[in-house]
Amino acid sequence: MLQLVLFNLTNGLIVGTFYVLMALGLSLIINLSNVVNFAHGNFLAIGGYFAFVLTPFIGFWGALLVSPFLTAIMGYVIEKLVIRHVYARNHIYSLLLTFGLGFILQDVCRYIWGPSPLPLNIPAELSAAITPDLFFITWYRVFMVAIVAVAVAGLFAFLRYTRVGMRIRAGTLDLDTVSALGVNVSALRSYNFAVGSFLAGLAGVLAAGQLGLNPNMGDDLIMPSFIAIIVGGVGSLTGTLLGGLLIGVASALTTVFYPSAAEAVIYVIMALVLLIRPRGLLGEEGMLQ
Amino acid sequence: MSRNGKGLIMRRRRVLQVGAGVGALQFAAPFIIQARGEQPVKIGFIDPITGSLSALAVTEVEGAKWTVDQLNKKGGILGRPVQLLVEDSANDTGTGVQKAHKLIERDNVDIIMGDVNSGIAYAIMGVTAEKKVFHIVPGGHTDPITGKDCKWNVFRTCNTTAMDAAAITGELVKKFGKKWFFITPDYAYGKTLQENFVKNLQKAGGTYQGDMLPIANTDFSATLIKAKAYKPDVLLNNMGGAAQLNCMKQFVQFGMNKEMALGGALYELETLRSVPKEALTGWWVMEWWWNQPNVPAVKSFVDSISPAIGNKKPTARHWMAYVSIMAAKLAAESAKSLEAVKMAHALSDMELPPEISLSPNKVKYRAGDHQLMSDIFVGQVQPPGPGGPDDLFKVETVVPGEQAAGPAEATGCKINWPA
Repeated sequence: MLQLVLFNLTNGLIVGTFYVLMALGLSLIINLSNVVNFAHGNFLAIGGYFAFVLTPFIGFWGALLVSPFLTAIMGYVIEKLVIRHVYARNHIYSLLLTFGLGFILQDVCRYIWGPSPLPLNIPAELSAAITPDLFFITWYRVFMVAIVAVAVAGLFAFLRYTRVGMRIRAGTLDLDTVSALGVNVSALRSYNFAVGSFLAGLAGVLAAGQLGLNPNMGDDLIMPSFIAIIVGGVGSLTGTLLGGLLIGVASALTTVFYPSAAEAVIYVIMALVLLIRPRGLLGEEGMLQ
Repeated sequence: MSRNGKGLIMRRRRVLQVGAGVGALQFAAPFIIQARGEQPVKIGFIDPITGSLSALAVTEVEGAKWTVDQLNKKGGILGRPVQLLVEDSANDTGTGVQKAHKLIERDNVDIIMGDVNSGIAYAIMGVTAEKKVFHIVPGGHTDPITGKDCKWNVFRTCNTTAMDAAAITGELVKKFGKKWFFITPDYAYGKTLQENFVKNLQKAGGTYQGDMLPIANTDFSATLIKAKAYKPDVLLNNMGGAAQLNCMKQFVQFGMNKEMALGGALYELETLRSVPKEALTGWWVMEWWWNQPNVPAVKSFVDSISPAIGNKKPTARHWMAYVSIMAAKLAAESAKSLEAVKMAHALSDMELPPEISLSPNKVKYRAGDHQLMSDIFVGQVQPPGPGGPDDLFKVETVVPGEQAAGPAEATGCKINWPA
């Protein structure tokens, strides 16, 4: 039993890192623009489909590099054309808009690539387990964790050391003051949305390599991202990181003892956190109170 | 009314238009009367064209459209053209019921078909029974539809979960052993399927463990870790669609295919096409298969429909739609009526001709529960064979429907006909 628990603990951390990647993009957009992007899962799916199209021409590695950038460009354009019109309005407008946008993107995928699942071929050497004893850790999963680690480190470095990153961080704390200091807030929001979409696209390619593609794949993967943000705390990227890992581990450990509740347990954690500490584990006061 | 010149011109033009319209009516009238005499037979087809079952639903609708086209080329039903009205249930029960009401009350359909989602098919049954509309369920599997909650007006073409489980249990026990681990979706279909498997396994003296997982589960590693620790002879993957595929992929990636057999009940060609070559393994049930060398009618069906569906081989879902619509035609023509009660009586126990059943054995919707007693194809999934990219399944044995289903009385169905 101990071995089973330890195996699932490790497995939960691996799954959790993937939730982190999805949730970080979503969290960035919420923090700066106050838009809860319900279409984030569909950006993820689009990223996966871009990789599916590109792989025959530039291979998996090429697609892994290019697809997130294409998703970011798409996100940038959509933000310019659609999303920015609801910033000044009540939250309900952005919720409804992104909810509808999600359906449109899903139907676009269904129309272009069909409703059937499609495989994204990954290099054969990544499919094997690292050792016979640790049979559930394939090289692909190790690779996924490594990519997520690099992406998270890169994101934190971007936010800390680049001019745009610093402005995004400042804007997250007080957008009005940042604007008053002469920063072009409109452009800042567009860049930020593009970075969030980039992370969705990257998560999409990684998910497609593991799970294959279908137009609904974003729907299945998006809820844990929202929960990671709420548990970790709205406004805190470190909190999102912690929230993602926590729900990944909780879900995996629940599977050992009561598998039917593997999905429900993450909602229970969310409810408990909201009851005991409404701002989330590392969230800022006032963001969700 | 305007008194200026422009107003007068407008009025004059209007008078001319009305006059021309009245004149045209004199010529058109006979055609209108003729058209009324050839009112189409309307079939309302409800399926989840969007949502997680859309791949199967789209294929079913494709099969229905092709069948209706063929029917119309050959005189339709009762000499009248057939019109197919397709509605999307969006994989949501409330939407499915609403669409059934719309089709019956506003579009005045004669026949209802649907849904791929068992829960929606079950809910629509309530509407069609109340409105006394003839209803065929082409592809929703949960047992009560033709079991304890059966209705006089409802027939089902696809198998029950009990039939699928009964068809394959014997083969798996005989070939691999009696210690099983189940991975099953936690909803009506999964629960009844696993219950039926367990019943058959225990009869054979077997033991089991298993996990019920959310229907759209994406990561199976935690459950596969448990399965490996249990050391079963067979791992039963009862998930559906993308979840079934992901479970299968991870099973092979973790090297578990070297330690235990993989099997399950239903597999669909639509999903199988997306499985990577290395993961094409295991024993499954196909409810219909396109490659039946001993049934000539199958070859001509495949040759006819393939060009209309992108030169692919037809799947069981194409067949379900085809059989359902052709059965409705047979029922109407045997009853010489579109009245639901007469059609239902006509179809009960009617043996389908080979060009409609497309199966090696005799097939009928049996009177006791209105369930189609179709053949069940048990076999192994394989990498593409000599028959092309869709040659992904090798039929090992064909189990007759009656043998797998058991007696109608045992299903709990008691059909109450309207007075």
